[in-house]
Amino acid sequence: MASVWLAVLALVLAGPVPSALARARWPARVPRAAIVLWQAVALAAVLAAVGSALAAPEELLRALGPEQRTGTPLLIAVAVAATIAGLIVLRLAAVLVLLGVRTRRRRARHRDMVDLLDRAERSATVGSPGARAVLRVLDGAVPFAYCVPGRAPRVVVTEAALDTLAPEELRAVLAHEQAHLDARHDLVRESFVALHQAFPVLVRSRQARDAVGLLLEMLADDAARTRSSDTAMAGALEAFVVTGDTEIAARLERVRTLRCGDRRLATGIYLAAAAVVVVPTVAVVIPWLSAALPAAGLQ
Amino acid sequence: MALGELERAVMGQLWAAPGPLTVREVHDRLERELAYTTVMTVLGRLAKKGVVRQERDGKAYRYAAASTREQLTASLMLDALGDVGDDRTAALVAFVDRVGPEEAATLRAALQTGPSTAPATEMPEMPQVPQPRVDGDERAPDS
Repeated sequence: MASVWLAVLALVLAGPVPSALARARWPARVPRAAIVLWQAVALAAVLAAVGSALAAPEELLRALGPEQRTGTPLLIAVAVAATIAGLIVLRLAAVLVLLGVRTRRRRARHRDMVDLLDRAERSATVGSPGARAVLRVLDGAVPFAYCVPGRAPRVVVTEAALDTLAPEELRAVLAHEQAHLDARHDLVRESFVALHQAFPVLVRSRQARDAVGLLLEMLADDAARTRSSDTAMAGALEAFVVTGDTEIAARLERVRTLRCGDRRLATGIYLAAAAVVVVPTVAVVIPWLSAALPAAGLQ
Repeated sequence: MALGELERAVMGQLWAAPGPLTVREVHDRLERELAYTTVMTVLGRLAKKGVVRQERDGKAYRYAAASTREQLTASLMLDALGDVGDDRTAALVAFVDRVGPEEAATLRAALQTGPSTAPATEMPEMPQVPQPRVDGDERAPDS
């Protein structure tokens, strides 16, 4: 039964759970804990899928009868299980590596170009946003700010953004980007992009990817709020808001009305995240192993 | 002077110039104490990055920016926005994930019809993101 339970679990963690999480309103109150929960759900879904693949052939075999349990059929069962589980893991690993290489190449290229296009006279007046990151100013009429993560990170703003933002708001924007860089939010985001690319149908991680992306922005907003002020952060967001952009609108609403942190809720979410990973292992995998190993004569 | 700063200064001269320049001309326009070979090296590096085109003109080489400043800026912003290349790479973490359709259209227009101070007519090299593919992912070396 373990394989069935794990398959059901994998499907639930891949479908309804992300849908519910993406619709929920509370993650905005505790973005960090919510991101951890998303990661736990994703990890548990992959583990359950792998576990289900591993358990299925053995359980089928055990159901057949004692005389077929040993010898060649067992070997075939083990081989089939290992192949399917291995394919899942390999697929994810391959996508992760490929994505990592491509992303880094693209970023290096982007960094080169940003360095070439820098309006040095403007970036010199603003100064460096942080210890490691270098500020670059692009010309352009679209107010815009972002960071290029990596070993030599860059924070990029357009001249339009510099002209639009008040000094305190600019400080908030730079603190926001610096928070992304310091906490390596790009790695979190990258893992969910990888999951989406590896299992676009099985794991409905487009939801996960987008929801986690927004939560990461909220997390950086909170860091910027503590380093500048709520009003400065709200002002900065207002400067960037475009009609129809629900994401910025949600962040603006949140900065205006929500205070950072809700320790009790956060603790609950962390516990839930731990449970999502631990409970299936204890409740399903261990009983299966304790039945399967003696049956295979391994104990 | 730092190499990056030098590269930026050289690009500035190429963008400002009415046509392709020789190494000597770039060297003279920079108005700095620089070795001729240094300028040549920098131009070589920029050509390798694909932002400078090298043309043979008789015995000498002439150098021109591969795209205008406006084009390069626009393509860079589209790259940052993830407007190109779908999601084959994890996006640069952007403060504003999406600009409105109008702004994106403006950027795309700038990309195509940047004022041609440089003689380049081809599309700029940037962004050199991996080709967008559908989710089938036939290139993944696993299965």
